Amino acid sequence: MITVQFELNGKAVSVDCPPERRLLELLRETFHLTAAKPGCGIGRCGACMVWIDEQPVNACLVMAWQLEGRRVRSYENLATSTESAPVRDALARCGGLQCGYCTPGLAMTLTHLHRLEPRPKRDEAALLLAGNLCRCTGYGGIRRTLAQLFDPAIQAPLDESTPT
Amino acid sequence: MNTPDHTPDLTPHRLIDHAGLLALARPRPDAAAKLAATPFPSDHLGDQALHGAILGSPHPHARILAIDTRAARALPGVHAVLTAADIPGTPCYGLRHVDRPVLCADKVRCIGDPVAVVAADTAEQAHAAVAAIRVDYALLAVVDDPLHALEAQAETVHAGGNLLHHLHHAHGDLGAAVAACEHVVEDEYHSPRQMHAYLETEGGIVEHDDDGRLVVRFGCQNPERDRQVIAGILNLPPDRLRVIGTPVGGSYGGKDELTIQPLAALLALKTGRAVRLHLNRGESTDLGVKRHPMRMRLRSGCDADGRLRFIEADILADTGAYATHGPEVLDAAIEHVVGPYAYDAVSLRGRLAYTNNGIAGAFRGFGAVQTQFALERQIDRLAALAGFDPLCFRQRNLAAPDAPGPLGQHVLPFDGPHRALDVLRTHALWTAPHRHADGRYLYGTGLALVHRSDGFGKGGPNAARLVLALAADGKLELRAGFTEMGQNLIGAATRMMADHLHCAEDDVRIVLGDSALTPDSGPTAASRTTSIIHRALRDHGPRWRAALVDAARVDVELPSAARTAAGGLVSEAGHPVLDYPSLARQCATTRPTLVIDLPAEETPSDIPAAHLVFGASAALAQVRVDSWSGQVKVERLVLANALGPVISAEGLLGQMEGGAVMGQGMATIEDLPSPGGRYAARNLDGYFIPTLADAPEIEVLAIENLMADDPAGPRGAGEISVNVAVPAVANAIAHATGLTVTRLPVTPDTVLDHLERQA
Repeated sequence: MITVQFELNGKAVSVDCPPERRLLELLRETFHLTAAKPGCGIGRCGACMVWIDEQPVNACLVMAWQLEGRRVRSYENLATSTESAPVRDALARCGGLQCGYCTPGLAMTLTHLHRLEPRPKRDEAALLLAGNLCRCTGYGGIRRTLAQLFDPAIQAPLDESTPT
Repeated sequence: MNTPDHTPDLTPHRLIDHAGLLALARPRPDAAAKLAATPFPSDHLGDQALHGAILGSPHPHARILAIDTRAARALPGVHAVLTAADIPGTPCYGLRHVDRPVLCADKVRCIGDPVAVVAADTAEQAHAAVAAIRVDYALLAVVDDPLHALEAQAETVHAGGNLLHHLHHAHGDLGAAVAACEHVVEDEYHSPRQMHAYLETEGGIVEHDDDGRLVVRFGCQNPERDRQVIAGILNLPPDRLRVIGTPVGGSYGGKDELTIQPLAALLALKTGRAVRLHLNRGESTDLGVKRHPMRMRLRSGCDADGRLRFIEADILADTGAYATHGPEVLDAAIEHVVGPYAYDAVSLRGRLAYTNNGIAGAFRGFGAVQTQFALERQIDRLAALAGFDPLCFRQRNLAAPDAPGPLGQHVLPFDGPHRALDVLRTHALWTAPHRHADGRYLYGTGLALVHRSDGFGKGGPNAARLVLALAADGKLELRAGFTEMGQNLIGAATRMMADHLHCAEDDVRIVLGDSALTPDSGPTAASRTTSIIHRALRDHGPRWRAALVDAARVDVELPSAARTAAGGLVSEAGHPVLDYPSLARQCATTRPTLVIDLPAEETPSDIPAAHLVFGASAALAQVRVDSWSGQVKVERLVLANALGPVISAEGLLGQMEGGAVMGQGMATIEDLPSPGGRYAARNLDGYFIPTLADAPEIEVLAIENLMADDPAGPRGAGEISVNVAVPAVANAIAHATGLTVTRLPVTPDTVLDHLERQA
């Protein structure tokens, strides 16, 4: 057992657990934060995406000992923040979600990409989003979401606050 | 030449193009909740819930000699270690065939077949207990090939033998029809074992409520049926159970039948505690159903004028260890292998074999997609032999809109196949060259046409009960035992309620998937729910509108022509009279409710499992084949859907795009072989599904026409995109490469071998 101290959604937390305990399990079982989903457990599907120090990471691939002093942000926190508002709005408008199980992870990655400076081009964003699997949409609505968010010609009316 | 003489005079198409659908699309009503991370069934952790874990068989086929749970029971934190002997009621479950043990008692029939189940304070303790259970097995010969399964000396998977279901259908004079043919194509086609790969693996919780009920919360497709079956297993009256099955984190048919719910319920019953059970991806792969692999021998021919004369089909399907939906899947495979075409003679035979290859069951496309792949390959090959353009050849051979159905049954007249082809005939992708090469890349465009059934075949669970109610807060509720799996059922139902009740969408609430709140509506399956709700509201909406007005009249004097409208009741001139919340308060003790019992609408023909209602879709696929790597990239898909009026544009787009890419996966990358009865992969690192980088540009077209007086209304959109995308991609690959595609998925090795042979 080890004691790990890290920041979770803006609050300092401390956990006693085996060093190899996965972050995904800590989030769900210890902190009862279930937005990160156990889709595969091996980093292939992206359904458990969180941010560690502002970078998207599959929570199933991170062990407790790696968390010391890090800042972890889960979708519960992001979902109520203005940073993700354009992403959530675009996903809803564009049909970027169906069953919704992949949605929190997808929104974590998308929001990260949307906040990058300079903002990636649509094709670059699409490549970077390929680690988030969706079995429902056939990616049609997700492509439209990408166009809204990453194509300057299309995003203007949706995201007026963004400088062009 | 090439004038289709079966083509009727079509009234103008009522066509909505892709841009038009996008313009009509609106956010799903449940988008906000999903974007707020509302929990799925497997996210309910419960209060002090125990952790369940399953001991599954490590062998594909073995006799159980002894099970020793003593060491497991003695471990710390363990509350229950249960085997088949602990089941109070029915030890097996199933649909047409009740053959699947809740827990195996005497033998195991596939990897992961549950033998024992444990509940403990922590997941670690539960897994330790599972590891401590001793089971002595005597290995049996593994039946891993459906053809061998049917040989006389084969080991039997079930006592009754390995032939689970078979059927034969023939009409017309086959000999004469064959003799009339100038061109005949015969081949054997193979379709893969596709995995649903829903991202939410099977999981949920069973809790005890204050009324002494067990509350079973797992994503499913038919909560009421599950309640009845679990009650039988637990030997409890059904009213001691409440089953909540919505929302579902993806299903595609894979969660249609029960899987682990009875085990969780058994643990909760025996321990008196809440119990969670959630499979990891490996366990889900082992225990979840798959698409039936089929081998399909087809022989069909046309005469010198390019007229189809006959089709012969011999289908062998591998249902794995248990029946679940297998017999119905085979029935659908046989019915759809004929296609929307006319023949002089038809001879069809199907067999369904038990094996030890996991379990095959319901999967979007449901038996039809396999045989439609084979059929549409045959059609393309015959068109080429006869010297016809593939589209003209199909047009030429369409059955008349009022012709009998594939099995000779009475069906609703339908010209959807004619319209779908006519719409694609002038599409720019079709009028461009169908193949070209550009350096290392070979490009090809393929066409496919399918029609597919709505609802279950004759004798299936086609009836439905729905309830309309005025809720305490004034919402106009539709209560249905269906579940929301992502298909936008809530959105489509909201739209239909507003249309038929003449109210606003905000006045409506859709209540789904909870046996305590919703009636027995039958399965959320077979592309049936939109059609069912449409029928119910069309036929009973006027009565319900009148009932709301009558309820108001008890206490309020209303204008004689008062009616329902957005927000509440209005006068004939549209002046507000009474809003719905006030109406609900006013009739607090006698709020009106309307129970709608929709009878099954089935073909009157005396043909088991035959369907009455069909929709249609035609598709173009453009592929780019890399002649260096053999890799197939699907670049474009165009789907022309003849499914009647569009209820929900966003729902239609989503179903079409999602199903098409699932079909693309089946045609190009997805297969789960089972050598020796062991799946070759257990996670998404060995079984690949399409990613964003693989997804093509998809264009969806909607043809809204139905025949005059069509009684069924909109056709379901949930499956047909898979059905049509698979053969369209297969035909495109064939056009691009010249490969005679007979086996899916088309692997890079297959392509390279072919190209090398040609060089």
